[in-house]
Amino acid sequence: MPIISADLTHAGGRPTAAELEAKLLAGQTLLAETPNHLMQVVDVLESYGEVLDAYSINLIYQAEQQFLNPVPAFRYLDGDLSPGKIWRHLIHDRLNFEYAEYCQKSMFWHGTGGLDAYLDSDAFGASCGAIIRRKTGRDPLLALLHPLFPDFLLELIRSAATTHALGQFWRVMSDLFLDLARAEKDGRVSTVAAVVAFMREGLVAAAAKPITYAVEVAGERFWVLPPEAGLTFLADVAVPYVEAVFLRGMPFLGTVSFNAQAQQVSPDQSTFAYGALFADPLPTMGSGIPPSLLMQDMYRHLPQRLHQWYRQTSRGEGDVRVKICLSFQKSMFCVTNAAIAGTFPHPLDHADPAAQAANRAYAASWAARLSGSRTDCLDPSNF
Amino acid sequence: MLSTLLLIPFIGAFALLFWPGQPVPGRMRVVTIVVLGLQLAWSLRVLLAFDPGDGGMQLQESFAWVSSIGLDYRLGIDGLSLPLVLINAALTLVSAVCTRDISQRPRIYFALLLLISGAVNGAFLAENLLLFFLFYELELVPLWLLISIWGGTERAYAATKFLIFTAVSGVLILGAFLGLALFTGTVDFSLTPVLSERLAMGSQLLLLGALLIGFGIKIPLVPFHTWLPDAHTQASTPVSVLLAGVLLKLGTYGLLRFCLGMFPEAWALLAPWLAGWAAVSVLYGSLAAIAQRDMKRMVAYSSVGHMGYILLAAAAATPVSLLGAVFQMVSHGLISALLFLLVGIVYRKTGTRDLEVLRGLLNPERGLPFTGTLMILGVMASAGLPGMAGFISEFLVFRGSLEAFPLATLLCMVGSGLTAVYFLLLVNRAFFGRMAITPPSADPVADARLDIRLAAVAPRETIPAMALATAVVAIGLIPAWLGRISEAASTTMARLPALLASLQNGGVG
Repeated sequence: MPIISADLTHAGGRPTAAELEAKLLAGQTLLAETPNHLMQVVDVLESYGEVLDAYSINLIYQAEQQFLNPVPAFRYLDGDLSPGKIWRHLIHDRLNFEYAEYCQKSMFWHGTGGLDAYLDSDAFGASCGAIIRRKTGRDPLLALLHPLFPDFLLELIRSAATTHALGQFWRVMSDLFLDLARAEKDGRVSTVAAVVAFMREGLVAAAAKPITYAVEVAGERFWVLPPEAGLTFLADVAVPYVEAVFLRGMPFLGTVSFNAQAQQVSPDQSTFAYGALFADPLPTMGSGIPPSLLMQDMYRHLPQRLHQWYRQTSRGEGDVRVKICLSFQKSMFCVTNAAIAGTFPHPLDHADPAAQAANRAYAASWAARLSGSRTDCLDPSNF
Repeated sequence: MLSTLLLIPFIGAFALLFWPGQPVPGRMRVVTIVVLGLQLAWSLRVLLAFDPGDGGMQLQESFAWVSSIGLDYRLGIDGLSLPLVLINAALTLVSAVCTRDISQRPRIYFALLLLISGAVNGAFLAENLLLFFLFYELELVPLWLLISIWGGTERAYAATKFLIFTAVSGVLILGAFLGLALFTGTVDFSLTPVLSERLAMGSQLLLLGALLIGFGIKIPLVPFHTWLPDAHTQASTPVSVLLAGVLLKLGTYGLLRFCLGMFPEAWALLAPWLAGWAAVSVLYGSLAAIAQRDMKRMVAYSSVGHMGYILLAAAAATPVSLLGAVFQMVSHGLISALLFLLVGIVYRKTGTRDLEVLRGLLNPERGLPFTGTLMILGVMASAGLPGMAGFISEFLVFRGSLEAFPLATLLCMVGSGLTAVYFLLLVNRAFFGRMAITPPSADPVADARLDIRLAAVAPRETIPAMALATAVVAIGLIPAWLGRISEAASTTMARLPALLASLQNGGVG
């Protein structure tokens, strides 16, 4: 039997912006409602929750314990310098914490929302000045560097603040995803719509959670992100995170030249589209390719049920990371779906025409952005 | 001992033809593999019995057959034919192993495969011109059948073209052999150098010209090459392996054994022209390969280019260049067989060989990463990178020919550089970038979303290619293994003109 190339390729559905908008306004899930989707989303989020737990612990460790360390060689070890841990690190029997840093850098670079605005404020500058004075008084290397490059330590503190904020954000998300897995196991969640509702409620419940960050320098405690700054979970970290990591991302090493050749690197940073919702699930799996790093990490924590199903589809274990990426994108559409549902200006069943128009405009702006993303994964025919 | 090398495949072929009961493809394949395994083992036994220090014919066997017309059964082996006998055994075995989806007429298919292998052994071992010719013709029809029955959609055209070209080649060779008898008035068809005291130079040039064109078609050299890309494109993978790896070597073997070996004086006269011809062939083959979009045609054109090196080496006829020619025959046999195997795997998995379509096959999860890795190794070997067989052979050929024909050698070196160009094009197009196996549409966003579900390559499918890749690297790292077998013979052959000249001038010393 001759092999026909076209039979080996599969094009998933590509809903239009209008279709997406209609679904958002009708309160329907973007992801098709099937039992298999439920299993994929819940299980992949469970493994993601496990990974985020480790990422979160590490980012908070880095921000607090490796603060202003110019050579943080052991920053992935969470302070455990035992030979066994170092050996496992060297043979790469570990999570790719580089992915967490990629997300942090992405957030830091795109810099949207209240956190970024605070990092440029006078209050922040003043507290940084105090921290730097204290630190340089005891660290001759930094004391030498600071007068030469006065913005260097300031920028490091900004970066550390983003790192800590992301660690706090992922703490909440990790708990939420692991709760979701438990809820599905005990029958409280049994549809994709219930998954989206569960996450929306989780996000809304955590929305006003304050984001604060303090460091200890030479025995003295300083606020970097003080409670007075009024930074909150949803508006100042979650939304910028979605913007930076789900949508914009960064053209990363190894693929940037392909994107550049295809003239896909936008000169406008705000229109970048390399985020999780746009990522090609067929990466080269090389080092430095962010989606690959995350897929490798989730593979380490894959629930048995999902792993078993992956083994039975396409190449089984051979292309398991691609399948994780497809499932992950499905689940990230659920999270995005929940975030949009939780941030509509008015309740969807509001009778006021002005409120409805505002909701429509909000849904339309999201639908327009999402229509260019990998919406093909919303289709159940796509693994 | 040498007759056994003919008996094993021939008896195997007849056993398959008369195998009782319905032919089951799997069983026929196993029997063939066993027979070819025996043939390989026996070839290795011949290798053990072979004395590398002796540059002449060894292990000779002969009996009078039809002596009245000069047809004697005379076999012998030397450092030129032994490596070719070995790669014949190895590559026919590879062909049989990589034949997986023969559903129609398995009995005939495998019998023909064995018949070809036996005939090729016969041609390499024959010490009588007519006997060589018989074996040379004997492999034609089976190969024609292999292309015309089990080939691609245009197989009838390609097979007929192949048959016409190689039949003309056979006629020219037979004509030259008979012409030799006619001009010299004897029926001596033994492998004896023909000298001007026996035959006028004009007649020598005429006979040599006929042989050159005859073998030039088989090798093939530009402009007689046009049958080869078509035959390769339409032939199935195992047949391409055999064609590139073994059958083309009949042409180069004939060039060295019969053209250079029998007409050394006329050869020396024509050598500068032959070196020029080699350069043209190399450059044309390489440039044509650059223009191809079918992977298999590209590899086929690379054969045209790489066979030109052997003509250059033969034209220079120095001990080093002739040793290089033997190396090039072996390394080209292994490398082109490897490349055809890998192209075959790509084609079997993706349904296309179009370089305008294939992309990113090196993708580790959904692509053909191991096949791609071997392909990169294969093209590096073909481009002559150190550490692999291609480097040794090209280095010896160029080193041996540079002083005799500097310009032609330099042009051939350019051809060697062009090999890197077209094979990098191949690897870059088919193996790097975002994976694709269908033609690009007008919407690049839609193309970038296509989910591609190729079947994985099972480890057993890559065993033949891995074996060849190992051999390519082994020869590259330890060339002395092969060099030891062939050095005495190539030195003897290179000294032939000088020896004959001194004999004519009243003896050696």
